[in-house]
Amino acid sequence: MARYGMAFDLRRCIGCNACVIGCKQENSLPDGVFFTRTLSEEYGVFPAVNRVYIPTLCNHCEDAPCEKVCPSGATYTRDDGIVMVDNDKCIGCNSCAVACPYDQRSVLSKELFDDGLFGEGELTPFEEQGYVRFTPGTVTKCDFCHERVDAGLDPACVVTCPTDARIFGDLDDPDSDVSTLIRERGGRPPLPEKNTKPKVYYVT
Amino acid sequence: MATNQPTIVGDSFALGYRFQRYWDSSMASAFFFGELGAGLFIVSMFYGVVPGMIAGLVSTGILKAYFHLAHMGVPMNSWRAIMRPDRAWISRGMIAIAVFVVFGVAHVLLQVGGIFNLDLSTIGGALQQAIKTIAVLAALGVLLYHGFLISHSSAISLWNTGLMPIVSIVYALLGGAALTSVLGWNALAAELPGTMVPLSALTLILLVVIAVVLFSLMYVGLNGSPGARVSINLLLKGPFAKFFVPLVVGVGLALPLLLLLWGPATYVTSVAIAVAVLVGYYTFRVYIFKAGVYDPIMSFAPSV
Repeated sequence: MARYGMAFDLRRCIGCNACVIGCKQENSLPDGVFFTRTLSEEYGVFPAVNRVYIPTLCNHCEDAPCEKVCPSGATYTRDDGIVMVDNDKCIGCNSCAVACPYDQRSVLSKELFDDGLFGEGELTPFEEQGYVRFTPGTVTKCDFCHERVDAGLDPACVVTCPTDARIFGDLDDPDSDVSTLIRERGGRPPLPEKNTKPKVYYVT
Repeated sequence: MATNQPTIVGDSFALGYRFQRYWDSSMASAFFFGELGAGLFIVSMFYGVVPGMIAGLVSTGILKAYFHLAHMGVPMNSWRAIMRPDRAWISRGMIAIAVFVVFGVAHVLLQVGGIFNLDLSTIGGALQQAIKTIAVLAALGVLLYHGFLISHSSAISLWNTGLMPIVSIVYALLGGAALTSVLGWNALAAELPGTMVPLSALTLILLVVIAVVLFSLMYVGLNGSPGARVSINLLLKGPFAKFFVPLVVGVGLALPLLLLLWGPATYVTSVAIAVAVLVGYYTFRVYIFKAGVYDPIMSFAPSV
């Protein structure tokens, strides 16, 4: 069984946010809900100022704190390491959102579905077909586009990236692109001091 | 080459500290009423003040439940919160609350059964003692679970300290002692005047202890991780300071301390002390949630 993970090549990321848009389209995300973001960090002193872009998403931690605190068993980890949320079991207590050190959970408030993308109380056909996968009041997050992964495809954010800054694959396969990149360029997990063992790495 | 210090970035796509926005004042109210109810029940039981025990059960069993349901996204599924006591503090807390309410009500019925012409003579002394013991243990469980629930959250550095369970216990017992003085005034001051002095002494001791614990919480935060430092600065110097400092320190600690030491021993003073303590306690609960921040994931700016 594979153990899926992702690496971000920060030398390649140009902060175009195509991954963010690709994710929102693939998952029909309501207004203000993001499964992935491209954060920017400025550094330097004028006039020598620069900016680095840092993509983020759910790190699908081996030791996921969101799973530990979930009182209803809605958050679980698949055999391939993808951390999932079962909408039918989620009670919307938000304890997972508070427990995630990476702030990668999104609350699907009822207003999001009532107002629609344009805030006029009517849903577009795109929203109508997409929102059926969500349960208002529950918490959601990135699931590495598990339907695509099950079909042998890469997640939407990976295929959308024009610079190949996102590399997805099997971390247990030493010959996979993601394992090779992490090994050769020294991949760093985010907030390692939180002891969550993320399966997402950053290479610079 | 200098790296800019991360700031609070709100919901923008920038690297920095982000406020936790998932537990709001509804959740703070649920914590407040849950802890206060359990603390009030324990202190009232110790002093034999039945109205205090009833108020404690109402606070935990009804008010806490109401605010939890108001917070919850899918209230109809709330029964599922009991499913994972093996790993989740919320599940353990739900069980503690259920046991507390059932055995607490049973204990109160045993105390006031005669009023309702209930024949409770068949219930033996050992069983009554067992019911009382279980109710107290469950009430302690309710107190403890709140503290452990947030102290286990490594995401919010301000909460991620072993002091949180101590804060929960001491604040709840303090609120319980202050309210027991009010609710049991007639019974204690008129019929058992000797008990008012130890109750006042208990309130005074708990006030001093909570002051030390809060000071320790601030000190640990300021000298701890960057996220905790940001949170403490928000509380003491930032935008939350205009409420946190005067209400938690001034009204919640200093005022009751002055009234206990130099105020007249009257019912009005007792009410003023209880109100002041509860205002401080509730403000603390609300702002400790508001001031929680997530750390930036990491800096990738090139080092100097």
